[in-house]
Amino acid sequence: MVDRLSTSIGPLELGHPIINASGTFDVLEADRVLDTDLIEDFPFAAYVPKTVTPKARTGNRPPRLYETAAGLLNSIGLANKGIEAFVSEDLPRLASLDVPLIASVAGERIEDYGECVRMLDGCSEVDAIELNVSCPNVELDGMALGCDPERTREATALARQLTDKPLLVKLTPNVTDIVATARAAVAGGADCISAINTVNGMALDPWSLEPALGHVTGGLSGPAIKPVALRAVYLISRELDIPVIAMGGATTAIDILEFLAAGARAVAIGTATFRDPRLAEQLAGELDELMDQRGITSVEELSGRAHRD
Amino acid sequence: MATAPAPASLHECPVVESRTVGAYHLVSFVASGIADASLPGQFVMVRQAGPALDPLLPRPMGIHDIDSDLVKVLIEPVGKGTVYLSQAKVGDRFSVLGPLGNGFDLEGSGPALVIGGGVGVAPLALLAKRLVERGRPVRCLLGFKTRVQAVVTELFGEVEVDICTEDGTMGQRAVVSELLAGCLEELGPEAATAQIFACGPDGMLKAVTGASHGCGADAQVSVAAHMACGVGACQGCVVKVGGEYRRACSEGPVFPAGELEW
Repeated sequence: MVDRLSTSIGPLELGHPIINASGTFDVLEADRVLDTDLIEDFPFAAYVPKTVTPKARTGNRPPRLYETAAGLLNSIGLANKGIEAFVSEDLPRLASLDVPLIASVAGERIEDYGECVRMLDGCSEVDAIELNVSCPNVELDGMALGCDPERTREATALARQLTDKPLLVKLTPNVTDIVATARAAVAGGADCISAINTVNGMALDPWSLEPALGHVTGGLSGPAIKPVALRAVYLISRELDIPVIAMGGATTAIDILEFLAAGARAVAIGTATFRDPRLAEQLAGELDELMDQRGITSVEELSGRAHRD
Repeated sequence: MATAPAPASLHECPVVESRTVGAYHLVSFVASGIADASLPGQFVMVRQAGPALDPLLPRPMGIHDIDSDLVKVLIEPVGKGTVYLSQAKVGDRFSVLGPLGNGFDLEGSGPALVIGGGVGVAPLALLAKRLVERGRPVRCLLGFKTRVQAVVTELFGEVEVDICTEDGTMGQRAVVSELLAGCLEELGPEAATAQIFACGPDGMLKAVTGASHGCGADAQVSVAAHMACGVGACQGCVVKVGGEYRRACSEGPVFPAGELEW
């Protein structure tokens, strides 16, 4: 099982292709609340903590969640304790995790990414850094940095200057041409593309007909967005020579298989984890069976097999 | 809180009872690992087991009662998830994560006043039972819009309850905060030693908070919020407490009334 499922993202070796999506799984909280020892017996092949920013953020006003058809709208607003508290409080407690740790960072200005990467570069617990470019950017009048390919390239290039750790860039799907943004991230020196972040959306409360979220609009995740994510992963991995981590609605082992065939080297699950915190383990076992049934001997062999010219 | 909550676990639980109680629906399922560990005011995350993706996520449900290895929840079918759960049949299986959150702090010796409104009465049955077991003097004041909701008070069993409805179709014609005001007045100076436990709509909790301030009684309120993870990860269920956003799931759902900002 181990051989068939093992995969890599640049220099990061993963025991199986299933990791968690940033912001959906907090191993320190879950370990405190649940009866299973999640730090010693971690269900994912890598851990991506919640995005941190230079300063702590309180996040958006509630309600922050609303369930839609096979999907979840959220407007958390990147609530986090700030990079300093993350480095001093959380990282020491994550040192005993036996999977790669991929820190996720964001900010309102390009320099914020620099500030976070500069701090994380010296942290031995951090194996890779993911730039979350979906945060509203003040230099772009609140538009997400990732909506502007040139700004995405600049932020990636700045981070590249500051660290030799593998750099992932997590793209927003809320653009006309996601391949153009991916290409800009590659030009800036990215080692891997994560695709996709949540899809812009909104919901109304059916009784009051008021916006269901306190922030009015939010990001859609869950099975409802899987076809959107699958297309993005397919196009990026077909056009560019860079490893892609797929995310966006993966819930079943079949979903994982499809994302890999579409060109991903690994798949993150997020919203599905809310149905079962240990789901990743079950999916890894099921994926192994599915690959065996189809005579597929490795993730590498599977990755991109759906590509058509 | 006085008793540290036991760790939560995920179980697939057979439904053994599912019946309408007026405007609400009572569902009982076998969950020995959860039943033993549950404290009054804690909740469980519940969904129909299986691969169906809509409804997608479990719903938070206050633990209404425990009967040996049975956990009971009381559902008000108002949205997609709660309507679906309320249609559960005996033999269905629920996927249940729990017990979760911090329950009520039962330490104290003064009169216990248990105040509920609407489906917010759900977690108060177990609370009242535990308070009675501790030999505490308990008064249970439960308010509803109308009779079809108020009949749920039959589930409070041995515990004596004062009922009110806004239209007077069952119990007194009043809102529950008026009942509380009367009760505090009867207690006189002893009201300052009372311990108030409340769960219900925001307006009611606000009124209860005001009344507790007025007489100096200690008050704990249980809040409701949309949740996704239930374990403190997603930051989705925050409420404003003491000037900061706090997670209803892992830091609540019970908070000191005075610290909540409405």
